[in-house]
Amino acid sequence: MLPDPTPGTTLSLSRLIDELHRLPGIGPKSAQRIAYHITQIPVEDARALADAIIAVKDSILFCDECRNLTDASPCPICANPQRNRDQICVVEESRDLVALERTRSYRGLYHVLHGALSPLNGIGPEDIHLPQLFQRLQEPDDGNPLRELIVATNPTLEGDATADFINRRLAGRGIRITRLALGLPVGGSLEFADETTLSRALAGRSPLE
Amino acid sequence: MSLPRTYRALGLTLRKTPMGEADLVATIYTGEHGKLPVRARAARRLSSKLMGHLEPLTLLELALTRSRTPDTPDLVTEAQVVHAFPAVKTGYDRTARGLYVAELLDAFCPLAAPNPPLFNLAIQTLHLLNDDVDSELPLRYFDLQLLNLSGFLPELYQCVACGDALLPERHRYAAGAGGALCPDCAPPPDVVVRPLSLGALKVLRLLHRTPSAGELPSQFLPPPVQREVRGILSATLQYWIDRPVQSQVFLDAAQSHETRNPFR
Repeated sequence: MLPDPTPGTTLSLSRLIDELHRLPGIGPKSAQRIAYHITQIPVEDARALADAIIAVKDSILFCDECRNLTDASPCPICANPQRNRDQICVVEESRDLVALERTRSYRGLYHVLHGALSPLNGIGPEDIHLPQLFQRLQEPDDGNPLRELIVATNPTLEGDATADFINRRLAGRGIRITRLALGLPVGGSLEFADETTLSRALAGRSPLE
Repeated sequence: MSLPRTYRALGLTLRKTPMGEADLVATIYTGEHGKLPVRARAARRLSSKLMGHLEPLTLLELALTRSRTPDTPDLVTEAQVVHAFPAVKTGYDRTARGLYVAELLDAFCPLAAPNPPLFNLAIQTLHLLNDDVDSELPLRYFDLQLLNLSGFLPELYQCVACGDALLPERHRYAAGAGGALCPDCAPPPDVVVRPLSLGALKVLRLLHRTPSAGELPSQFLPPPVQREVRGILSATLQYWIDRPVQSQVFLDAAQSHETRNPFR
C-alpha cells in the first residue's frame, strides 16, 4: 500500500514522483520537477512517453551474437557483411558501443558485457556476459578466424580487473588481445593529471610521425 | 568556536559512486577524521582536474570544504595522489585482495570516528600487497588486527564459557560466543561451533601478538592451517558485519569460473 501523499500533492502525483526518483541520477527535487511538468503537458504527449517506455521494454532483446540491445537478432552491426569479422571490441555497456560507433574509426564487431567485474559489489564473471564471449570465441566464424580482441572496458579498477580476467582466460590462444590506449585526454593538462594516468601515458607513448 | 571552513586530510579512497551528471561521491578513510563521505564536483568529466584521483585504493592528500548543510558530504577542492598502489591494481585477484581491505574498513568503521592505528594498519597492509609479498599472512594479520582495533578481538587465551586458560590441545571456536572454547565446555545454544587445531590457535595468537605486519615471520604456513585460520577469521568477520565479504565472494567465484571452464 502506498504511504499517504505529501500534504499538498495527490496520491497519483506522489506515486509518479516516487517512480521517477528510482531512476538513476534523478534526485527527489528533480523527480518532483519532472512530475509537475508532466501534469502540465498535453495528455497525448504524456501517453506518448508512457507508450515509448512500454514499447522499449516489449521490443528490446539481446543480440544472440554480440549481446547488444536490439529490436531483432542478429543486430544490424552483426548482420552487416561489410564489418570486419576478424575483430571484436569488448565494451562494458551498449552506450560505450554507441560512443565508439560515433568515431567512425572502427569497422569490426562488438561484444557488450553489460557490466564489469566488481569485487566490492560481488559481481563475478557469471553475472555479466563474459561466458557468452568465451563461448563465442570457441565457435569461430567460418572462414573468419578472430585476429584481434580489443578490450575497451573503462580505465577504472573494475574495467581493469575485467580486462585482466579476459586476458588471462585467452592467454596462449593465438588471439591478439589489445587494450584501448590510456593516457591524457585531448585538451587536458599535465599539471592536473594524476600519477597513474601520467605513468600510463608515459608507458604508452608513441613516436612522432 | 566553529570549525574552520576548509581543512586538509590524508586519506585512502575506499569506494566511489557516480552522482548526478558528472559528480562523484567517494568514501575516504582518514587517520585524523575517520571515515568521510566526500563529493567531487564534475570529477567524471575528462577535463576535470580531479579526474582519476579518486579511484579506490589510492592514498590522497585532500583539501576539503565543509558542507553548509548537515548530512551532506564535504566538497573536495584539491586532491594530490600520495601513493596509488599500482601493483595492487594490476590483476583482478590482486585488485580483489586490495579491495578486501577497503571493504572491511568501510564495514567496520562508523562515520567520523578516528582510529589512527587502524588507518596505519590499512596503509601498511596495502604497501605489503603492493610489494608483491605472499598476501596470505598480511591479510590474516589485517583481519585479526582489524577486529582487535575495532573492539571485536576474539578470545584466544581463555575458554569463553568457563574462563579457564586454554591448554595446548585441540579446542573449538565459536564466533558467536566470542572466541575459543575448551573441549569440555558446552557452547551457548544456537551458536555455530567449529574445530580449532592447536596449530591454528598458535597462528592466531602470533597474529595477535606481532606488533606490525612487517615483523611477521616469512615461513610458509601449511595449506591446511592456512585454510583453517582463514575460515575462522572469515566466520568472525562475517558474524560482526552480518553478511559475506563481497570481495572474497568475488575472488572465489572468479577463480572457480577459471577452474570449471577451462578454455578448450
